[in-house]
Amino acid sequence: MTTESSCKAPSYNITCRMSHEAAALERLCQVVRVRGFRIAKMAVDSADGALNIALTIQGTRPVAMLQSQLEKLHTVAEVKLAAPVVAAASRIA
Amino acid sequence: MNGAQHILEAFHRHSIQTVFGYPGGCIMPLYDALVDDVRVEHVLCRHEQGCALAADGYARASGKLGVCIATSGPGATNLITGVANAYQDSIPMLVITGQVPSALIGTDAFQETDVLGMTLGIVKHSYLIESAEELPGILEEAIELAQSGRPGPVWIDIPKDVLLAETTVLPEPMPAQPQATCPELSDAIALLCAARKPLLYSGGGINLAHAEDSFREFAKCSELPAVVTLKGIGNAGKHSAHNLGMLGMHGSRAANRAVDECDLLLVIGARLDDRATGKLDGFAPNARTIHIDADAAEFNKLRKAEITIRGDLNVILKELTQALRDTPLAINEWRKQCQNWRTTGGFQAADNEEPLAPITGPAFISQLSRTAPDDTIIACDVGQHQMWVAQHYQFDHPRHHLTSGGLGTMGFGLPAAIGAQFANRNSTVINVTGDGSFMMNAQELATIRRYNLPVKLIIMDNQCLGMVRQQQELFYNNRESQINLDDNPDFVAMARAFDIPALKIDRTDQVRRGIETILAYDGPMLLHVAIAREENVWPIVKPGGSNKEMIDETRRTAADKKEKIA
Ligand SMILES: Cc1ncc(C[n+]2csc(CCOP(=O)(O)OP(=O)(O)O)c2C)c(N)n1
Ligand SMILES: [Mg+2]
Repeated sequence: MTTESSCKAPSYNITCRMSHEAAALERLCQVVRVRGFRIAKMAVDSADGALNIALTIQGTRPVAMLQSQLEKLHTVAEVKLAAPVVAAASRIA
Repeated sequence: MNGAQHILEAFHRHSIQTVFGYPGGCIMPLYDALVDDVRVEHVLCRHEQGCALAADGYARASGKLGVCIATSGPGATNLITGVANAYQDSIPMLVITGQVPSALIGTDAFQETDVLGMTLGIVKHSYLIESAEELPGILEEAIELAQSGRPGPVWIDIPKDVLLAETTVLPEPMPAQPQATCPELSDAIALLCAARKPLLYSGGGINLAHAEDSFREFAKCSELPAVVTLKGIGNAGKHSAHNLGMLGMHGSRAANRAVDECDLLLVIGARLDDRATGKLDGFAPNARTIHIDADAAEFNKLRKAEITIRGDLNVILKELTQALRDTPLAINEWRKQCQNWRTTGGFQAADNEEPLAPITGPAFISQLSRTAPDDTIIACDVGQHQMWVAQHYQFDHPRHHLTSGGLGTMGFGLPAAIGAQFANRNSTVINVTGDGSFMMNAQELATIRRYNLPVKLIIMDNQCLGMVRQQQELFYNNRESQINLDDNPDFVAMARAFDIPALKIDRTDQVRRGIETILAYDGPMLLHVAIAREENVWPIVKPGGSNKEMIDETRRTAADKKEKIA
């Protein structure tokens, strides 16, 4: 699986709520990577047995496909996709 | 009760009577508990990969949960191929491994591997148990999860101290699943009724959803021309008038032609895998798509669908059948056209009339299909022989055809046949294997012998890794590389070393007698079938190529001749 070079690929902001189990974050990150995206930024917060994760990811594949794969994870309660972020590089170009 | 006993209680609660496993240090508390438990039959395979693949075969042949057990470290890593195999084909499986004691995790202890981390990509879900108190609840959840929605393997890694710890906690009963309701189908029905050349495209999801009967009712009532994927073989039954057979890389000309010409694809329980679709650009170029599946993540993944419907296939198929009863499809011209293709472009294995002629793969499989009883289960391996089975054996039910579709695991067939025989004690179970694949899990002959399973073994021996040789011949300028197996062991002697009788045939006039002999024998028996090294599977689509560009023997010969003249 290849991830596209970061400056050309569109960026997306995703937030995800999942239960705080062993390997929860690894599971999430692995799905992001295998489905063709690269993590550019990640913030994690835990409360009441849940993890709230904010991700900025980059990739050229349809992001809805990633969203449906993340939603399929048993411990993921919710995945929200914010409006696409316009990459700084492409704005200048 | 300790953690180990809780596992056996969970098996009992869920009517799990047969499990496949191999003991070792960290899982010993569970093996100790098994000594006192007469409710569970534990099948000792001879390699953990054999355990996982036998559990997979058990699940495929029975429609129930397959269970495999191993110790930590090498036991767990040996399971991995079998679990990946189940994951790729959505087979319900519960995997239980021992882990080093909690306090030693992360210290590079003896036989410690990070099983949770290493298997994330091949499980539907997985757990590392942190306390005995959480074990009973997680067992309930895992058993439910492995079998619900789109099924798959669920792995529970349990530290040894948790297996030994006493707990009085009892599992909460799982909340009852709500009755599946039917999603809105009117748009799909309207699109179907408006189509002039609709085609039914079904896959392994039908069997996984236990929806074979509803599917057949729908296929019969709609009289839709139909194609199947490798895992959908048997969906339509062997007497279906409208089934054009398997599509894709080694599919029938009729099936690929119909896909190419149809104006609507009704995809049910299939994921549009690349071996089936070929190059996506050229796949069903004139068709709109209705995609019905249990897993929404499959929608629009590889092909855009006009309509997607997620839900229980049983419920949806019944509703569709009802709708078409009220409004039959007016597609007689298209049906006739597909019938013509079926007549001229189906799979035909020419029977060799010459008694001393060498045996050919397709003719052998056709004879096997004519001779074996109706409820025979065929567990295939991977390679040319697997494709000949898919093309030339007439299956009446998808559960009769066990094949490693997604992962393509050489070595699947023998342990899968063992699992299938445990699930169906009175059925004929045959492992059709190749000389390469057989050697991948040949140690399981000892399991067949130990449990005196009447599994029949047929080795199609072309003295090479035939499928790789074929692609080297066709797509790599005939530059053979590392495919030669002409120093194979004496398979007959090998079987006999496991106290399994065996015989070898190499001529056309021996085929029928050979098959009849192994089928009539009351116990396991091996038939070693020598076939030509150069034989190929036809037709074939070049990997990455479009299904429109099928190569068949005559075209290749013509191209060869042209090349030689040039
Ligand atoms: C475990 C594994 N290793 C390698 C492959 C790649 N592979 C696919 S088919 C094949 C040849 C199989 O040979 P054999 O079992 O003799 O079957 P044949 O094609 O000759 O009928 C190989 C090596 C595989 N599918 N699985
Ligand atoms: Mg071979």
